[in-house]
Amino acid sequence: MKTFIKTIAIGTALLTAAGAGCGGDEDTGPLGNVDSLIVLQRPKRNDMGDIFQYTSYKPKTESGVNARLIKLEPPTADGKQTVICCDQAGPEFANIDISGYDIDFDAKRIVFAGKLSGNTKYGLFILTLADGSVEQVPTDPARDYVSPIFLPGDKIMFTTNSVVEAGARQHRDEYERGDTLQLGRINTDGTGEELGARNLSHRTFPTLMSDGRVMFTQWDHLGGMNAGHLVFVNQDMTNLREGFGKEGTGASNSVLKAQEISGGRFVAIATARNRTIQAGALIDVKLGIKATDSDGNVTAVERQSEANATYTDLTPDVPHGNEPSADTVGRYYDAFPLNAKDKPDLVVSWANGPVESGVLGSAGLEADFGVYLLDTKNNQRHPLLDNNEMWDVFPRPLQPRAVPDISGSSIDPNLNGATMIGSMDVYQSSLKTFTPGSIYGVRVMEGFSSEEGFGRMFGTTMFEGQANLGTARVQADGSWLATVPANVPLHVQAVDVFGMSMFSEPVWVSGRKNEARVCGGCHESRDKATIIDPGQTDAFAVGPTPMYGLTPRAMRKSMDFSRDKIMGVAWDTTVQKVFDNNNCLNCHDSRNLAGMQPYTITDPTTGLSVSWTLNLENTAVPAGLAELAGEGAFTSSYFSIAGPDMEAVEKGDMMITSCSAPNCTQVNYAMPEDSRNSRIIKSLNPKRQFPTQTNERAFPTSPHQNNNISADEFYQLILNIDMGLNFYARENNPGLNNY
Amino acid sequence: MKNIGMKLAAVAFLAVVASPAYAGKGGSAAKIRSAIQSGSVDAITAEVERAESLSCSECVQMVTNLLEDNRYAVREVAAWWFAKRPQLKDMVATTMVDDLKSGSTIKVRNAADFLGATVTYTALPTLRAAIHRDNLGPEAKLALVRAVSFMGHLGGNEVLTTAMADSDASVRAAAATAWRDILGQTSATPVVGLLVDSDATVRAAAATTVGGMGHVGAAAQLEALVVNDSDPFVRRNAAWALGKLGQESSRVALAKASTDKSGLVRMVARAALASLK
Repeated sequence: MKTFIKTIAIGTALLTAAGAGCGGDEDTGPLGNVDSLIVLQRPKRNDMGDIFQYTSYKPKTESGVNARLIKLEPPTADGKQTVICCDQAGPEFANIDISGYDIDFDAKRIVFAGKLSGNTKYGLFILTLADGSVEQVPTDPARDYVSPIFLPGDKIMFTTNSVVEAGARQHRDEYERGDTLQLGRINTDGTGEELGARNLSHRTFPTLMSDGRVMFTQWDHLGGMNAGHLVFVNQDMTNLREGFGKEGTGASNSVLKAQEISGGRFVAIATARNRTIQAGALIDVKLGIKATDSDGNVTAVERQSEANATYTDLTPDVPHGNEPSADTVGRYYDAFPLNAKDKPDLVVSWANGPVESGVLGSAGLEADFGVYLLDTKNNQRHPLLDNNEMWDVFPRPLQPRAVPDISGSSIDPNLNGATMIGSMDVYQSSLKTFTPGSIYGVRVMEGFSSEEGFGRMFGTTMFEGQANLGTARVQADGSWLATVPANVPLHVQAVDVFGMSMFSEPVWVSGRKNEARVCGGCHESRDKATIIDPGQTDAFAVGPTPMYGLTPRAMRKSMDFSRDKIMGVAWDTTVQKVFDNNNCLNCHDSRNLAGMQPYTITDPTTGLSVSWTLNLENTAVPAGLAELAGEGAFTSSYFSIAGPDMEAVEKGDMMITSCSAPNCTQVNYAMPEDSRNSRIIKSLNPKRQFPTQTNERAFPTSPHQNNNISADEFYQLILNIDMGLNFYARENNPGLNNY
Repeated sequence: MKNIGMKLAAVAFLAVVASPAYAGKGGSAAKIRSAIQSGSVDAITAEVERAESLSCSECVQMVTNLLEDNRYAVREVAAWWFAKRPQLKDMVATTMVDDLKSGSTIKVRNAADFLGATVTYTALPTLRAAIHRDNLGPEAKLALVRAVSFMGHLGGNEVLTTAMADSDASVRAAAATAWRDILGQTSATPVVGLLVDSDATVRAAAATTVGGMGHVGAAAQLEALVVNDSDPFVRRNAAWALGKLGQESSRVALAKASTDKSGLVRMVARAALASLK
């Protein structure tokens, strides 16, 4: 009876506050079953444009009001606002800034990320609502821990820049330059901290699904791929799977802050990576086939896959890019679903006007996020709370919620600390059709960033550093297995008997210690029923190919450049020797005895131009070309083969003038990750590599100059190209020198 | 103005010898200028990033000026932009190295941040020398520490050990923290002495480093800190460190800390207790 009375009161209040019904249950409104909302209030700021920014610290407003968690009870515009943290927690909390939080399943505790002073890091804290006490969760005081969520089994998941690998530095994002955030979890009593396997770029904003999996935003950066996608993991951070954003399903460059509406269905923010204060349009993502029940609730549980995913734009006027948003349109910081109707009701955080850091900065303003009830059917926002000094964000109903099952684990202690990866049948792929029998094996490569001691560029092709771990032979049934180092980003390629890539998986993957990460195929169709049981495969009978699974990072390099030992392929010390040892410079050095004609790059605006002729010397690129050639240490041979930064050339509207005769210098002679279609490889015509090296050539054409380049040397060339055509590798890491 | 003069000379040189102007990733000189005029760190960062491949004298001048901005985030992204243009970076680095030798506190700050963010290893000898200068303020010394921390190279150790003895507590604390982030660092011994520093932030930083590096020899000092230190941040970090060391001998101290009056300490101590061998 008490609940009934309360519900009526709230419904009346909503009507009063909003001036209209809110499109939910006609008797109660969408917030009718909610006693109160928790809201995070942060002093307004303008330094969080980048979606991966996590270190912003501004504890107080100009009038001295602290960052805080408040309770709005009832959840109406005239509801009572009560500060629940952290004004009573002690003097240590006097300058706290809070960046995110989550409510426990029984609604008795809140875990939040807070930073206590300018010279400390973001840590995790648990607030007990019954008595207002706050205790810090033990995390590394020199690292940041943010975006906490409760997991079943008294655990907390978070993102952190703490490093899972002893002695290694955290990966540094090559473009955004921040120490990357990765997943971790810890027991709510502070014991048992575990850090997940690493991506090369950031992972952020985890959220728990009703099926027990965790969804989060992963920045995928591999060659041309450079975007934030939604992906899944199990609660123990194993079994990473793609969710939404790739395979042509993306709504924007970045999709973040996903919250489950119903099975297979999410509301998320679609926006650009930067300048939008981590805010954007609201999209309704359906991973599977849409189904509507008799109550009008919409789910998308069946046939979930990234390829089947669709989305609906819930706020069609809001830009998905980083242009300034218009007055009355604004941008949304986050959203939480209140029901699963076809057009769901949401409680949102929204700011009006140009939510774009440059425009706001020019005007000396900050975005003013307030809390609203959003009726997406009628596109109406009803204000609930807006403190003009604060960002009012992450509104969440304070009420118990169902505890999902603890999701499965892919941990196999028999791996002794390594990770096992593989496929049941590599020919099963939704991205590529392979001729049966055409794949010899799967090559596995490790990725790393500049944090190992490199400068800011590995080459002109924008690929990160890579090391070859080996090639696992594909068995008769299409299966393969390999044991690889745990916790490192891995990149796999299907290769032919000549060692050339036939297909590159377009993302980095990684596995935890003892994780058995076996897929159905090579990016197989995700909505087909696939029984993952590697014990049934030929590869399991043969045993996994060992690939340095327990070798420390510092030792994962090799100065033995033979096919089965080569790891990194440094340009100046390895590839250059192929040219030097095979008389290539007799014709193709600065003397240009081959009589090659140059190509020319022209700036149509200024009319200035530069020319280049094929030159395979290990000499510095002339100063006039240094800008196009990238790193000053890059050599003439590298610039000749890799070519200029084509992204810069194309987007800069540069004009490249060449000719079509056989003696015309080409802009490049190799394409990263595609040795098979690279001019230098086709021309030289490589020798067979697998299962044994022979003089059989890959192409029916005559080899250039009837060369006798050795099979190992061919593999060095091929591997360099297929690993991104970089100049630097661990084998020529400048950070290993003494200074 | 010597510094700016040298830098502009470098710009002029580039304008003569550089390749044609072009824009990468949608950046432009106008957008950088607009972002600078906005005063927004966020906007400046975004536009300089978008100009990753941009090359024109006008842009170079603007980004050069950003190397002397009062905000570290602006100086850092400007340095990154130069790092993408190594020949120009080398020219600017030459003037920056000169600043390390004889520049004012602010010039040294800017120079160290540039050399660190561009990972200019060849500047390490000059960074080592600069930390010994007796006429630099904390801002410069913090930047020197920041530079070697960013590089993560063992060649920066002398900068850190010298900074650990600095009269300014913020410099000592920064050096203690940075020590752990140097690649190949094997011993926390130089940091142990800071566990009895007069400044709480230094003691707290030192406790984290010795714990994070597993320096078991510091257990007794950490046990004293976790029980007796007046600062809750020190007690918290000491508790965390003792949990990392996992020594049974720490049980009594941690048990006492598990009832600490500060909410920063209690759970950390309880969890550390659970980790003892």
